[in-house]
Amino acid sequence: MSSFSKSPWIIHYDASSCNGCDIEVLACLTPLFDVERLGVINTGNPKHADIFLVTGAVNEQSKDVIRNIYNQMPEPKVVVAVGICATSGGVFRECYNISGGVDSVIPVDVYVAGCAARPEAIVDGIVQSLGVLEQKRREMAAAPKNVDQTLYLRAEKSDAPEILGLQKTAFQSEAELYGNDSLPALQQTLEELQQEFERPQWVVLKAVVNGKIIGSVRGHAADGTVQVARLVVHPYFQRHGIGVRLMAEIEKAFPDVKRFEVFTGEKSRRNLDLYRKLGYLPYKTEPGTPTLVYLQKERK
Amino acid sequence: MTLVLTLILLPLAAGLGLLCLRSSLPRRILVTGVTLAVCCGSVALALLPTPVDLSGLSLNYHWINLGMLLVEIAMGLYIIYVGVRARHPLIVGLALAQAGLMVWFELTAGLHLEVAQNLFVDKLSVIMALINGVVGGGICLYSLGYMREYHETAHRDVADRRPLFFSLLFIFMGAMFGLIFANNLVWLFLFWEITTLCSFLLIGYTQTDEARRNALLALVMNLAGGLAFAVAIVWLYRQTGSIELQTLIKSNKVLMLMPAALLCFAGITKSAQLPFSSWLLGAMVAPTPVSALLHSSTMVKAGVYLVLRMAPVVAHTNVGMMVAMVGGVTFVIGSLAAITTSEAKRVLAWSTIANLGLIVLCGGIGTYEAVWAGILLIIFHAVAKCLLFLCVGVVEHKLHSRNIEDMSGLVLRMPRVAMMMEIGMAGMFLAPFGMLISKWAVLKAVVDASPLLSVFVVFGSAATLFFWVKWMGKLVQVVGPSERIKKELVLGEAIALYGLSAATFLTCLLFPLISSIFIKPYILDVYGNFADLGQGNVIIMMIMMAMVLLFPLSLIGQGKGPKVVDAYLGGANVKGGERFRTIAGTVQDVSIGNYYLQNFFNEAQLSRWGVIGCTMLLAAMFFLTAFV
Amino acid sequence: MNPWIRILIYLIAAPVVGCLLAGWDRRISARMQSRRGPPILQPLYDVQKLWQKQNIAVQRSQNLYIVFFLLLVIFTGALFFGGSDLLLVIFALTLAAIFFVLGAYKASSPYSFIGAERELIQMMAYEPMVLLAAIGMYMVTKSFAVDDIAVHPKLLVLVLPGIFLGFLYTLEIKFRKSPFDLSSSHHVHQELVRGITTEFSGRTLAMIEIAHWYETVFLLGWVYLFFASMPVLGVAASLLVFVFIILVDNVFARLKWQTAIKSAWVVAAVLGFGNILVLSMLH
Repeated sequence: MSSFSKSPWIIHYDASSCNGCDIEVLACLTPLFDVERLGVINTGNPKHADIFLVTGAVNEQSKDVIRNIYNQMPEPKVVVAVGICATSGGVFRECYNISGGVDSVIPVDVYVAGCAARPEAIVDGIVQSLGVLEQKRREMAAAPKNVDQTLYLRAEKSDAPEILGLQKTAFQSEAELYGNDSLPALQQTLEELQQEFERPQWVVLKAVVNGKIIGSVRGHAADGTVQVARLVVHPYFQRHGIGVRLMAEIEKAFPDVKRFEVFTGEKSRRNLDLYRKLGYLPYKTEPGTPTLVYLQKERK
Repeated sequence: MTLVLTLILLPLAAGLGLLCLRSSLPRRILVTGVTLAVCCGSVALALLPTPVDLSGLSLNYHWINLGMLLVEIAMGLYIIYVGVRARHPLIVGLALAQAGLMVWFELTAGLHLEVAQNLFVDKLSVIMALINGVVGGGICLYSLGYMREYHETAHRDVADRRPLFFSLLFIFMGAMFGLIFANNLVWLFLFWEITTLCSFLLIGYTQTDEARRNALLALVMNLAGGLAFAVAIVWLYRQTGSIELQTLIKSNKVLMLMPAALLCFAGITKSAQLPFSSWLLGAMVAPTPVSALLHSSTMVKAGVYLVLRMAPVVAHTNVGMMVAMVGGVTFVIGSLAAITTSEAKRVLAWSTIANLGLIVLCGGIGTYEAVWAGILLIIFHAVAKCLLFLCVGVVEHKLHSRNIEDMSGLVLRMPRVAMMMEIGMAGMFLAPFGMLISKWAVLKAVVDASPLLSVFVVFGSAATLFFWVKWMGKLVQVVGPSERIKKELVLGEAIALYGLSAATFLTCLLFPLISSIFIKPYILDVYGNFADLGQGNVIIMMIMMAMVLLFPLSLIGQGKGPKVVDAYLGGANVKGGERFRTIAGTVQDVSIGNYYLQNFFNEAQLSRWGVIGCTMLLAAMFFLTAFV
Repeated sequence: MNPWIRILIYLIAAPVVGCLLAGWDRRISARMQSRRGPPILQPLYDVQKLWQKQNIAVQRSQNLYIVFFLLLVIFTGALFFGGSDLLLVIFALTLAAIFFVLGAYKASSPYSFIGAERELIQMMAYEPMVLLAAIGMYMVTKSFAVDDIAVHPKLLVLVLPGIFLGFLYTLEIKFRKSPFDLSSSHHVHQELVRGITTEFSGRTLAMIEIAHWYETVFLLGWVYLFFASMPVLGVAASLLVFVFIILVDNVFARLKWQTAIKSAWVVAAVLGFGNILVLSMLH
């Protein structure tokens, strides 16, 4: 069914735009361009929307708002950054109060450049996002069926971009829990991630479905302990036992080591339950923002 | 006969006995025992064929009448004393006039009168007796736990006069039985006045200035009704030589219009119709069992009971039309006024006034359909309103507030009580519950008899919808964390509340049965004709009830359920849906308050218009009856 | 025709007809605004899309209220087309609407709350006229049953002109269209966000949409009743009324709720009650 491409509902938010792109977005609704003939409705409500149109660069005040709106949208959802400011920060990129484009806060699917982006370009961007939306819907619907076909493999350096994207998507829920987007997992850059592949004693695993990476975990051995980190599973594939399997695989990847250590935030109930189920017990709490709980497991 | 007499005398005796019992355990035993006895007695009475055979015992009526006269004089003297002490000339004047008239009447004619039937019990009496016994009994049980908490925790400043309180409750119950079963109007009048006195004493229970003021107001208005009652008795005697209610109902209508009008007037004051509504609103200062027993379920029902008795006499007359219009106006204004207030008991009081107005409307119309609707209204309203008052009482104790705005999220804090309140409120206006059935019957009756009166019903019913649903919504709305209150109900309260909730459902489910067993024979007897809702419609209502009952059941089995996200606060959520970021980065709590439309419907103005309008209607009623 | 067959036809055909009417609604509105407008089946695509979205809620039980809203709206229409008591139909619709309102209350968010209060005010505004319409029909046909009203030989709109006009006025409120789109608007007004439907999404929102389709068919069916003795005229009148409602929707801005209830009650009192007054005097 391709009904997603026939009924895309939009929520439009102005992060810190000069309103140039906003006016062009509203112009799309006028008789000259009339996006409603494509079934587009500009709802002001994230819970009704599929496409999140953001204009303007991101500053401190709009970060929380963007995250709030993004989290209140039901899956499947796409983000379209309209205008060069939303894409990369535009001319304001180096300003003290601007953190960059929208992708510094949430994962973006389509970038529409321009200053101001023209209505034709915006409509084109929406149409492109329909394709992404359709693909996501397919994945979401297929997720329960394809779980048994998951392959668990060693990841290569070339997988780094995909894993980084997955990491940022999956950690959105953690950011929502703590209201904090400066979690290290979200701030990691591609270079840092690629370096991890080159370090010795680092193992990166991936869970693959239909050629797409939907889960990953990292472990690195030091002083007889393996530090397990960055266990991520794509939101569509969560609660299907993939996390459990990934943990089992990373433990298998270090057959000689006796002690495994992992950490998570103290509010991450689901993660704590998962680790406890696998035999990890908490042994240390490190206060901070957020407060971290360290768990360990001794292998017999 | 014994049963009937027991039902009257047992509570009276218990009431007098309770005056002496100081400690709580014997009081609890006596209250529970008498309540159970009265409940069983009422149910037993319902099983007897009617009219109940009252020829069993032979009593010396002369001595009884003399005793009653003495009680009458004693009460009159007490009221005059109260009036003098409060420097209230109207009370003194009315009491003197009323007592004087009755004493003169008794001495000259009444005492020597041979009355054929002093008591008369037909199906309508049985229905009222069931309400009084079962619902009233439930309230007495509830009061045990409630008053203990009232004095020990919630209102420690009020003097503990519980012996007086409980004794008044039972004296009232006995008097109510007497009122329902009496055919001799002088006896009826005595019991009527006893209920007035009980109401006065109970409203003034807390002994604050406000309570005293409202008690005196109630006394004045009920005395006015009592005076009309006394005049009616004398008039009836002058016309027919009899003082029996049944004689009034069955005699030549034209002659009986004035007594009927006077008795309707008495009923209107007793059931707090405009222009006499302020006493009921003021009576809400009394403890909740008083509000439930006297001022919603039972005593005010005595007023509308009398009007319904008068229905065959006033049907298709000017008196009936005026009475019906008073009821209609009260219904509309009461419903509109209930929208504007956020104090729970005041909302319930206005709603009571409005629903009694609807019953008075039925009585005034007086056709068989209307009376059928009126009796249904009595039954359903007594049960549902009582449930609501008792729930509000419990909530008031636990939350220390009567404000509806403080009841937000009650469904999480006190789930049982909240659910029962929802049932009670649904029972007051929602299909397929009882009051809806009654309102439907009223519409049909009104349309057949005088369609112009339908304007009152349609506007009033639109208004009732608004204030009930916004209260229902307030209970389920959950903003912010809420903690469960540990012990919601004590035993007595729980029995009463669960019982009444079950009764709300049962009366609705069984209403065809109730109608055919109790109401139909009465109507057939009086009118020779009978109304019904139709078999098909009853089945449809049952289907709707089944669908409505599915709802709470479906709440139980929800499975994985939806993913929980925050409410939309313009993206400014700070902590869930409870706090949001506003100007200058400050953080504010979300607070949600209902609309009270106070600029739109002004309670004082509405009252004023109602008082003026209804006074004119009543004046017209008397004028037309006397001179036309 | 056997009432059960009518109910079956209604159950299957009403969402189809409602969907097409909703599509035509958007098309005609668009053309009135010099735009092209979406395809006629757009509401179907909307519902299909919504059905596949993730299930989210603010309070876990809020979506359940909407399920019952939908069930009861369908039940109301079934009662109506099955020919039963018109008063019962009105009460059933009230019950359905109350589930909708309570669901919005349950969602416990400021916007859904405002939508709920305004929906209640709307209900308070149209209820007198709707009841008076039923009473008017009873006075002419001596029966509340839709079956009897539908076969009555007289053309009801001629005897009940005031009631028909008043009913039209309240139809605008019942359809939740300008100038009375107080509780939730299909226009681009966003100051209430989506009003009563703000916190509902996915399947729940789809159910609300489907319930609106059923409700549309039921309301137009009631308009048909005014012309029941001439069926072709009845159908034409229903469609004309629908187009008229769309026209008014596009021409007028939203009124304040105070104006809505005042005007609706004045209309009910003057047109509705006036009609009944005349009828009762003629008898």
